[in-house]
Amino acid sequence: MEIILELIIILGACFIGEILSAVLPFSFPSSIIAMILLFLLLLCGILKEKHLSHVGDFLLKNMSIFFLPAAVGILEHFSIIRQALIPFLLICAITLLLTFAATAYTVMGVRALQRHFSKGGKNRA
Amino acid sequence: MLNTLTSSPLFGILLTLGSFSVGVMVQKKLKTPLANPLIIAAALSIGLLQLFHIPLANYQTGSSYISLFLGPATAALALSIYRQYPVLKANLLPVIAGSAVGSAVSMGSVLFLCKLFRLEEIMAKSLLSKSVTTAIAIEVTQQQGGLAPITVAAVVITGVMGAVFSPLLIRLLRIKDPVAAGLAIGTSSHALGTTKALEIGQVEGAMSSIAIGTAGLVTVLFALFL
Repeated sequence: MEIILELIIILGACFIGEILSAVLPFSFPSSIIAMILLFLLLLCGILKEKHLSHVGDFLLKNMSIFFLPAAVGILEHFSIIRQALIPFLLICAITLLLTFAATAYTVMGVRALQRHFSKGGKNRA
Repeated sequence: MLNTLTSSPLFGILLTLGSFSVGVMVQKKLKTPLANPLIIAAALSIGLLQLFHIPLANYQTGSSYISLFLGPATAALALSIYRQYPVLKANLLPVIAGSAVGSAVSMGSVLFLCKLFRLEEIMAKSLLSKSVTTAIAIEVTQQQGGLAPITVAAVVITGVMGAVFSPLLIRLLRIKDPVAAGLAIGTSSHALGTTKALEIGQVEGAMSSIAIGTAGLVTVLFALFL
């Protein structure tokens, strides 16, 4: 019964997500709407973790099985990948490096500024 | 005979469950990010389908029941974001700035490199979201009109590279701040990189987990303007 109620909450949020996604004037993924909705309901305490954690944790722990069918679908697109295999791998590697460096240096910069300003505040006080 | 049997939805469902279990078992034995369960399971499924000349459509009759749960699994990410909310709140500005700049650089560099290598537009659309967690990446790809299987391949390859090379990148780029290191790992290589971040340290692991959600959301928002 517990599991069924949890399924109703999670699938219900997804269904509301689909409705909102259809109504929105721009295209926004329905499952992301469902995610935001569930997060907000948890945050304001309408939902408690225990109301969705059995099914939720099952889904989170085994997440990658749900992409397996899509991964196998690569069979259909093998020719596109094969003719662009080297650029494909290069893009994965170069983008990883750039994203990593950009994120790390941004965070270090922001934290240095935060330290600077909090120190300045203390001095004034 | 084989065709009739494999066109039952149970065939695709069992092949998915079975090959995934093998993937997880191999990962547990080898304990390296290179032995990714998804890669092993996909290779195994593809191998079996090819070997017995089973049409992909037969497999998909069953496997579509499993991919149906991709949406609910994405929605369940709310639970993990909620659990990290205290850490998120305490580091709000660095987290948001880091994942916003990181995701923008990721998407920008994909678009630039696809132009540079003169790849077809469909590749750019499929690779755009490759730094974020697979569930969200697939959503972005579908919204952009790209090919989900290419996205999955790119996301997993990026994630494995992230898990393998993160410690090296931290040293090369001289990142001394564990918050910066964790956010960089999560923003660039999502959940797969996070497994490595958790090994490096507690702060790195927590920050990396948070970045999975925030980088994913920011990427969805940026994609709206493309």
